[in-house]
Amino acid sequence: MSWGFAIWAATLALAAAVLSVTRASAVHALLLLLASLLALGAAFFAMSANFAGVIQLLIYAGAVVAVFVFVVMTVDASETAMAHERKLLRSAWRWPALFVGLSVIPILFGIGGGAMDAGAPAAADTRELGLLLFGDWGVATELVALMLIAGMIGVRHLGRSLGPRLRERGRE
Amino acid sequence: MLAYFLLLVPLPPLGGFLLLALDPYRLERRAVMAVALAAGIAPLVLFLPVALGYFAGSIGDTIAPAFTLNFGQFEVALAMQLDALSAIAALTVTVVASCVMIYAADYMASARVADLRRFFALMNLFLAGMLSVVMAADSIVFFLGWELMGLCSFFLISYNMNSPRAFAAGRKAFVMTRIADAALLAGLLLLFLEATSVRIADLIPAGLAAPEQRAVVIAVLLLVGALGKSAQLPFQTWLPTAMAGPTPVSALLHSATMVAAGAILLIRFAPLIEAHPGVAAATAIAGVATAVFGALCAVAQTDIKRLLAYSSISQIGFMLLAVGMGAPGVAMAHFVVHALFKSLLFMSAGVLSHASGGTTEIRRLRGSAYAAPISFATYVVGAAALAGFPILSAGWWSKEAVLGAAVMAGPFGQFLWLVALGSAALTGVYAYRPVWSALRSPVEPLPAIKENWLAVGPLIFLATASVLGSFLVGPIVRTMGGTVPHAGLGVEVMGALAAIAGLIGSVVVSFSPVWSARIKRARRLRAGMQMDAIYYAFLVRPYRRVVHKLSGRNARKDTSHEAETDRTDGGMGDPVGTATVNLGLWLARVVTAPFVPDRFDLVTMRSTREVRRAGVWARRLQTGRLRTYVMAIAFGLGVLVILGWGMTWG
Amino acid sequence: MTPLNILLVLSAGLFFAGLFGVAARRTILMQLISLEIMLSGPALGFVAVGAYHGSVEGTGMFLMVLGLAAAEVALGLAIYLHMRRATGGDSDLAHRLRG
Repeated sequence: MSWGFAIWAATLALAAAVLSVTRASAVHALLLLLASLLALGAAFFAMSANFAGVIQLLIYAGAVVAVFVFVVMTVDASETAMAHERKLLRSAWRWPALFVGLSVIPILFGIGGGAMDAGAPAAADTRELGLLLFGDWGVATELVALMLIAGMIGVRHLGRSLGPRLRERGRE
Repeated sequence: MLAYFLLLVPLPPLGGFLLLALDPYRLERRAVMAVALAAGIAPLVLFLPVALGYFAGSIGDTIAPAFTLNFGQFEVALAMQLDALSAIAALTVTVVASCVMIYAADYMASARVADLRRFFALMNLFLAGMLSVVMAADSIVFFLGWELMGLCSFFLISYNMNSPRAFAAGRKAFVMTRIADAALLAGLLLLFLEATSVRIADLIPAGLAAPEQRAVVIAVLLLVGALGKSAQLPFQTWLPTAMAGPTPVSALLHSATMVAAGAILLIRFAPLIEAHPGVAAATAIAGVATAVFGALCAVAQTDIKRLLAYSSISQIGFMLLAVGMGAPGVAMAHFVVHALFKSLLFMSAGVLSHASGGTTEIRRLRGSAYAAPISFATYVVGAAALAGFPILSAGWWSKEAVLGAAVMAGPFGQFLWLVALGSAALTGVYAYRPVWSALRSPVEPLPAIKENWLAVGPLIFLATASVLGSFLVGPIVRTMGGTVPHAGLGVEVMGALAAIAGLIGSVVVSFSPVWSARIKRARRLRAGMQMDAIYYAFLVRPYRRVVHKLSGRNARKDTSHEAETDRTDGGMGDPVGTATVNLGLWLARVVTAPFVPDRFDLVTMRSTREVRRAGVWARRLQTGRLRTYVMAIAFGLGVLVILGWGMTWG
Repeated sequence: MTPLNILLVLSAGLFFAGLFGVAARRTILMQLISLEIMLSGPALGFVAVGAYHGSVEGTGMFLMVLGLAAAEVALGLAIYLHMRRATGGDSDLAHRLRG
């Protein structure tokens, strides 16, 4: 594959992301997020990072979005809610845009320099990746695993206490 | 390793003080006694092996650093040291202190528990102070211990809180020594500036290398400090009145340790004194003058404790004479011997006066020899040592060494020797007076008191030491790096004759009606040549007038009148405190009265209000809203990115 | 102008788009979606650098980010569900910082 396709896919991902964060409807935003993640996956494939691309599709675009979908299903998607959401966004976007612009403009100026001389992207060897993750980076991998376990325990805890306390709150 | 053992030596008394003074529980009498005795004797137990090792030569001079700090070229290093002086002096101090503590446990047995705690706490603190003075390897620890002693002596002399006399005596001791302490502090600081270090081992060479005038100033300041602490002329007035404290206090503070600290100071810094003939001569003259003065006054005393007090300053005069004659080792020997027999004298005198009904008047000691025979015997031994009874007593050997050192120091020394010889004879006259008085048959038979082993044990030990101390004089002088002066047979015979003349003189004074009447009439001499009155008239009263003038109040005339009637003890009504209060009031009137009375309050209150408002304003930053924080982070990130961009512009 | 440069700028763009979303949106769910985008930006950067230099560490770091994102999503959504009743899903109303 080629750099050109990777850049094009990443541009698509950026466009989808910008649209995603400005949608009023959570469903639209989620679909655009999905599009963005899929485009990123395409960019990974284009850069010959096949393993990363596969993982991106399976975990990110698959599992993570699926979790989101379950939650989004519970969201109020009525027209009034949309209008409320739009009003909130309209009242709040200026300062964040200004602050983000502060950072973006210098970065845009930083594109220049260097020549378009790169060869084709090098393919990352998955075997090498495994050796890296479970060899030199063993501790980091363990830490990520630990973090995932902590997340799991946390979710379990939050989920368990949800029922009775919600009922209690409902009565209040 | 052993070096750090030295640091432990002053700790038990310090710990004892903390426990007794700060302990929130009400310790019972036995516990107080146990703590006090353990803390008082522990230094001896700790130090004895070290000192024996040092004398046996298995331990050399060591310095135990406790704490070191560097400021540029200046070095502040707190440390303890073991050398000839500190080994001998600390051993003496610990031995005498242990004896006094044991004796005090018996002597103070009837005191209330609260008083007992106070007493022993201060005694232990005092002991810690003295130990740090003798063992200090730097001027800071030295001065700290020195001041600690001054403070404790104030509290201990004023131990009888119901007695205004005791308070006045304590205050006088404190103020007098404080004046001298200021000189000592100045001297030590000047030395520090010369040496850029507080180590005594560095201070002495630096003082010797200093330019002539500065070195003289330093030596004189150190000498003044020593004179004040040792109650030498012209600072001698505080010691006799300081006898208002209990007997163990006198035995520890005013014989062996505190007044001897001045001698220790001079021995420690002897090279600085000796380097300047003028200062050395001044030291010797002050010593001899005090020796004669103290002896004369002691002869005229009717109170046994005051007699012993004058004898103390007289004997320390001999030590100063030895230092001035360039024989600090001899002074050290006399210090040790004097510490042993003087504490013995104070303590046995305490028992004798108990036996004769609690009075300290010599006249009324009659018959106490039969009521308390052991104490009387030990007193005789002590008196013999004090008077320098030839050959048998340690006092004779050390005093001979001092006199010999004076004879060998040239014509000037021989003149001083003659004067000192007179003082030695006078010493005999007063030393035996209580003995004869106690031997007389009582007017009415005194009940025999039971001599408690707690009291008598230390007495017997010290009496033995005062006899066997004869064998210590030579070794001590040699350990200190000097030689025992042998000025020829004639000089020694003269010394012996002086002592015997003193013995005969005391018999005459005690038994001849003419002489005893004269003694009785010698009011002037008894009051220490009325130096107190002179100081009062020429120093205290003008000073108080100035203070009164400054404080702008004449309403305190009544108290000053009261004080004038009671000359020895003063009764100042605290003019200094009043002066500062009045100064503050005057400042308030002049500086702040022109403003609105509450101006300062308003400023303070406004500033607190502003602080509160600033807090309220600052709290608005903490909205608790996630978005606010994220925006703040985004803003900060943007600023950082722009900064980075700007820096890599080129 | 190397391809890496462009890809890195794009990854920064993804990150800042996400940052804008987190800062501008009041709905917690939308903030979580924005967070995902924020995390995917660096992921793109890592993979691009790794591919450009032919090293495997880029993908390795991507996997680390992935683990972080997975844990974050799970916990974030659980907390969102927890808080939704109290705040209606509005993060500004959750300013007392209590469950």
